[in-house]
Amino acid sequence: MKTLRWAARALWRAPLRAALLVGVLGVSIGLALIMITVDGAFDERLEEIQSEVGTTVTVQPAGSFGGGFIIRGSFGPGGGGAGGGPNAPNGPNVGDATDDADTDVDDGQATLTDEAVEAIASIEHVAGYTRTITEQYSGDELTGGTIEPPADSPFAGNLPAGGFQIPILVTGTDNPTALSSLGVENVEITSGRTFESDEGEANVAVIGASLAEANGLVVGDTFEVNEAEVEVVGIFTTGTRFGDNAMFLPLDTARALFDREGEVDAISVRVDTAENVSATADAIRETLGEDVADVTTQEATFDAISAPLADAADSSRIGMIAALIASAAIILFSVAIVARQRIKEIGILKALGASNWQVVGQMTLETAFVAIIAAVIGALATFPMAQTVADGLVSDPTIQVGGFGAPGGGGGRGGGVVLDAGDGPVGNLLGEVDVAVSPEIFGYALAIALGLALVATVIPAWYVGRVKPAEVLRYE
Amino acid sequence: MSNAAIATNAGAAVLEDVVKHFKSGSDTVRAVDGVSVAIPRGKLVALKGPSGCGKSTLLNLLGALDRPDSGSITVDGADITGLSGAAEVAYRRDKVGFVFQMFNLMPYLSAIENVTLPMELRGELNAQGRWTLAESLLERVKLAPDHHRRRPSRLSGGEQQRVAIARALANDPPLILADEPTANLDSTTGEQIVRLLRSLASGDRTVLIATHDTVIARQADLVITMRDGKLVGRDGGSPGS
Repeated sequence: MKTLRWAARALWRAPLRAALLVGVLGVSIGLALIMITVDGAFDERLEEIQSEVGTTVTVQPAGSFGGGFIIRGSFGPGGGGAGGGPNAPNGPNVGDATDDADTDVDDGQATLTDEAVEAIASIEHVAGYTRTITEQYSGDELTGGTIEPPADSPFAGNLPAGGFQIPILVTGTDNPTALSSLGVENVEITSGRTFESDEGEANVAVIGASLAEANGLVVGDTFEVNEAEVEVVGIFTTGTRFGDNAMFLPLDTARALFDREGEVDAISVRVDTAENVSATADAIRETLGEDVADVTTQEATFDAISAPLADAADSSRIGMIAALIASAAIILFSVAIVARQRIKEIGILKALGASNWQVVGQMTLETAFVAIIAAVIGALATFPMAQTVADGLVSDPTIQVGGFGAPGGGGGRGGGVVLDAGDGPVGNLLGEVDVAVSPEIFGYALAIALGLALVATVIPAWYVGRVKPAEVLRYE
Repeated sequence: MSNAAIATNAGAAVLEDVVKHFKSGSDTVRAVDGVSVAIPRGKLVALKGPSGCGKSTLLNLLGALDRPDSGSITVDGADITGLSGAAEVAYRRDKVGFVFQMFNLMPYLSAIENVTLPMELRGELNAQGRWTLAESLLERVKLAPDHHRRRPSRLSGGEQQRVAIARALANDPPLILADEPTANLDSTTGEQIVRLLRSLASGDRTVLIATHDTVIARQADLVITMRDGKLVGRDGGSPGS
């Protein structure tokens, strides 16, 4: 207690020296804490991304090349230009004309069947699946929304008056309770609701806002699809003209309306853990045959998303280590310099009858005080700074992966709105790195401070032991 | 003087054939070269000689700030030659009080805090007791009361030396060692300090002053003269070695 009081008094009475040490060390510890926090946030986000992205295996008819709506019966190469994520080039929607038990061929487009789904469901590690079929509305009752290119666009003069009419895309899904499960990440139900679980075969639809507006539809209205009356139960918006020109139906309803009983255009298979994704994908390929189904995982997507984040995490880790080393170096050098500056003081104390341990104790506690104050300041600085540093470390926080894409420009019916290929939306993931600084940071700060103080004890202990009062007081 | 004679004549301190050499490059400096002397108890003793003659080294040996290469030193009846560790610390704390040429006060402590410091190291008195004793010691060395809470930087040289003397008295040691205590003071202040030290030398308390100032030496009960590490003269008191 006595030594504690001496240490506090020595610091208090030499405020400039103390403030300088606290300042330099505070910056260093603060940087280390920020890097620890940011590193933790990056790791957490990477895990989240992996859990969101990495547990889905997408199974589509062979030749449909990954994500996006597959427009059954489309002609020739899909125009799919602008749509789709990196995993979803809208390739030619022409499947192999096989007559496999698991596929049907109709109008040149292969589809999967429920038999394939059952086979997939029996594979180990498969935790669930979502089936979808996609169609283009071809009736007369509904009119799609239109879009006009900018006046200076090279296409401006080639479009009909009133602009380009966006195809109405229809998706049937057996997982309608959350539209986000379809990859429409930013979907927002603006009125009504989505499907209920007991409406698997009901003639109900959730339609996009553009489609509703173009046709004057509101919740509760009905419209015809292939001579069947369908009720609008909800209207959604995605914030894009293309996305808002689609409609969603329960899978069995869509199958009935488009005469596609037992068919599936895409299966999103949920694997129990991210580690089992690759093995499960291989098992599906083996079960269905690679000439029947294209089986894609989102490892590539995950890699694409996580690469900048992983780089940033590496940078933050290096920064953290560098900052910790710098902190240790700063405190060691500071203590060494201070001890050297105070050699006469040490000599006087020893001449007055202070033991080595009393002097070392005082200097150690002084160092501990400085380190703790610096750590608290560093911890407090972490709160406002960590997010900024994290944003700075992520090279492109606005990178977009997947999500709604635009339909192909003028390729006719082959153009498609491309949704994210998986169960989970992956759009704009990097922008969501949220660095939440918790009060635990003070625990880390304290641990660092005490660690540094402990390290810094070595110097005064060694130095004080060597100081001979007769020598240091001799040359006055 | 024989060992037996020294022991019989045991005063505040007895040195017998004390040697302390230093290495300076390839040369050996014979700072203290076979000194034997008895310092009488309760006297003001001046250790006189030119700079570099070994006065300070002898004081350091007596204060256990340094160890002799050979010989023995007995202070207050106890051999301090082989002291180490806690015993050495306790000796410095309880048996000797130092007064340095440059005062050597703690710059970040006030005058009174400098005086309480040895008491804190000893740990016997509570804060109030230390404070009261320090006040009385500062009064004794005639430091103005309104200067008690000043830091050394706001005290004159003479005042700082008074504080240093009060600090040396803090634990009531039997031996006060003053190394050129007036060297950095003007003559008037120096005389005051010497008078103060003179007043302290009585009863069981011995004051040993290292100085090259003959005026100061003249006020001592005993003057011991050193040259080149050896004792070359003794003036006053009983005959020494």
